[in-house]
Amino acid sequence: MMDIATQSEVLLRSAGYETWTWPGGSVPVVCFENASVAGFLHVFGSGEGLLADWRQVQQATLGRHAAALRSAGAKAWNFYALFLASGSDPVLARQIERIEEDFSMTRKIARGDLRTAADLRRTLLPLLPVLSAPTIGGADYRARLRARLSDVPDAAVAAFLGVASASDVARILVDAP
Amino acid sequence: MRLDYLELCGFRGFRERQRVDFGPGFTVICGRNGVGKSTLCDAVEFALTGQIDKYLVDKAAKESLDDYVWWRGEGQPEAHFVTVGFRADDGSGFAVTRSRETGADWDAARIEAMLCVPGAKPERALQQVCRTSIIRDEWIAALSLDLTETQRFELVRAALGAIEGPDYAAKAREVLSAAEGTHNAAAHAYEEARARLTAALTDLEETRDVALKAGDIAAALSSLDGLTAAGGQDLGSRVAAARQALAGRRLGLGEMGRVADEVRAVSALRDTVAGPEFRASRDAAAVAAAEAEVAVREARHALEAAEARLRREQETDALAASLAILVDHGSRVGLHDDRCPLCRAPQGASEFETGLAAARERLAARHSGVPEARAELAAARTRHEAAAEILRETEAAVLRFASAEAELSAREEALSAELVRRSLDGKLAHDAGALDAAVQAERSRLIDLERSILTLEASQAVERVTDLEAHVEALRAEADAAGDRLARVRTAVTAARTLDRTVRRTNAEIIDERLAVISPLLNELYQRLRPHSEWRTIDYGIRGDVKRFLSLRVGNGLNPQFVFSSGQRRAAGLAFLLSVHLSRPWCTWRTLMLDDPVQHIDDFRALHLVEVLSALQRSGRQIVCAVEDPSLAELLCRRLISEPAAPGRRHDLDLVSGGGASVTRSTDIAPAIAGVLGRTRDLSAAG
Repeated sequence: MMDIATQSEVLLRSAGYETWTWPGGSVPVVCFENASVAGFLHVFGSGEGLLADWRQVQQATLGRHAAALRSAGAKAWNFYALFLASGSDPVLARQIERIEEDFSMTRKIARGDLRTAADLRRTLLPLLPVLSAPTIGGADYRARLRARLSDVPDAAVAAFLGVASASDVARILVDAP
Repeated sequence: MRLDYLELCGFRGFRERQRVDFGPGFTVICGRNGVGKSTLCDAVEFALTGQIDKYLVDKAAKESLDDYVWWRGEGQPEAHFVTVGFRADDGSGFAVTRSRETGADWDAARIEAMLCVPGAKPERALQQVCRTSIIRDEWIAALSLDLTETQRFELVRAALGAIEGPDYAAKAREVLSAAEGTHNAAAHAYEEARARLTAALTDLEETRDVALKAGDIAAALSSLDGLTAAGGQDLGSRVAAARQALAGRRLGLGEMGRVADEVRAVSALRDTVAGPEFRASRDAAAVAAAEAEVAVREARHALEAAEARLRREQETDALAASLAILVDHGSRVGLHDDRCPLCRAPQGASEFETGLAAARERLAARHSGVPEARAELAAARTRHEAAAEILRETEAAVLRFASAEAELSAREEALSAELVRRSLDGKLAHDAGALDAAVQAERSRLIDLERSILTLEASQAVERVTDLEAHVEALRAEADAAGDRLARVRTAVTAARTLDRTVRRTNAEIIDERLAVISPLLNELYQRLRPHSEWRTIDYGIRGDVKRFLSLRVGNGLNPQFVFSSGQRRAAGLAFLLSVHLSRPWCTWRTLMLDDPVQHIDDFRALHLVEVLSALQRSGRQIVCAVEDPSLAELLCRRLISEPAAPGRRHDLDLVSGGGASVTRSTDIAPAIAGVLGRTRDLSAAG
């Protein structure tokens, strides 16, 4: 089974967050913070436990960090509370996700069906920079064409890829041995 | 390259000179409807391209968008221009100013050089830059989900940049077109060569047939001697002359035949005229004619006598009528002075009356001879006409006999003259058999001449066959060469097709590969924006060879264009447009401008969008976002990252007195407090 807390810290640290664990809660809590965002990541043993206890757990965590929140200024608006578990069936997972629509106190991210690192990465996307960085390199077009045009006379291919006009290329094709 | 500042004056809704400095990290522009938020985006685009591409129509009621680019409200701006400034990471920068009076101070190529990677930029690069950097409310769906699949493909293809090098696809098409043109010409030349060869072969076979008839040339030449002059002419000329002479002789033979016919006809006529029956008939006709003449004379005398009698009878009747009138008149007048009023003779009354009665009695007793005279005249006339008719008939008979004799004489004379003209014996005029024999002999001679001519022509054909065979060989070689060239050109066309197909396929493959490269990005952005709670991924599909289609699919192959609500379509569309924006390897401008992107999007998804913008900012993008809602502006300012090295800024816009939009407040966004929770951690650790 995936260690959600550890994997989360890996991802968040890779994204530039400071992370640390706070052992004082009823469930494992990972604290994280960067220049504009801070938050708490709670890992529950089951989806049912998450759905039953998330308010209480959030209350406890925020209470413990009340002083920090009060001193955070505008950053207090950017606090996240994550409630994560694995193994929930789809119905329960949907119920857990609806926690996110509760905008009180924190921005919430809730998942009950985490199975893989990809699931976790998808869940943490709101906290992460853009992960996909498409690299569209040179297509090495001429080399590709040369390889594909083995049935066409070399002289014609060279003329086509060079500065010869289309009519010159056609003439070379006709005159080719 | 990032947006540094924007300065504008007299542009659309901004009458007064305004300067908007953009935060290197982000800029939030806030204001209600109509205060100029979109105009700031328009100004950037207009400065770069000279156009504003957001309007579906650019003309209405004889006015165009160009008529509304510059200030048209109250008052006179001090100037009409827009200036957009850019700043690179190394601190260097440039600015483009476009004024109403002088246009842009930088040309498009120079601007492209600053914002695009040389060699990789697409066609109409600046338009593509703006279209993929400035995401406007009204275009979010229209430029993404609501595009046709071909338009969507073109948008992505253009955003992904040009495939390196010149436009090989167009060149390949031109090569194919040129090769096909050469093929058509070669095919035409081949068909013409084959047609010439076929015609020559036909000519050769016909000439060979003639040559087969070749015989004894010496005998044939000898037979021509009597017909044409022998010396000084080649064989062809002699044959031609013989043909001409032969035609003349054939004509003469025909005329001789007609003379023979005339001889036979004249002989038959002569036999008739000289025969006893003809003579007896002729004499009888003469006698009858003489008798008829006498009869006519007699009939004429009788007719004249009848006519004289009728005249007399008519005169007598006229006298009797006059007497009757006189008697009646005398009766009416009566005696006058005892004298008869008619004769003046002295008479008594009784005598007078007696005289009148006697006169009346004599007149009454008188019998008129006119009817009889008329009947006699009619009979005499009939007899005369009958006699005259007989006379005409007998005279005609006499004339026929005389004509026959005259015709015989004339034809004999003409025949003799014809024989003389043809240098024939005059005795032949009386010997049709001898003349027929002469005609037959001439016909036989002409047949021999014809055969001789044919023989000589055949001998000529033998020589011509050799020439024609050589000609056919030359034409065959020519046709073979044309066929070889056609085959080569066909091969060339096949190669050109291969070239064309390969270029297109390679282009398509490169685009497919590039799309495959950006697919994870599209999906990541889609997952971040989460338009739909169930369908967490979005896939694309490409089809078509010449015309390419880019379709988007969610769930079990569903088209989001048709299954998403308007808000969901905008969210999915934003994912698509942002992925396109981030996938431009050719563009060095790192600014993303969004004009009111949250219309129709619920708060939950608006929050997702803000998080996405934050993620984009953390990935190196400068974010410029215009919103109407102040709360959303505050959220953006909090959630986007303002750092000392790349601070954020907020501009609030409103309308000012006197008309025109204005930046009413500009605020630098302070960086968030760092290490808020970290202090708690430190405290915990210390505790």
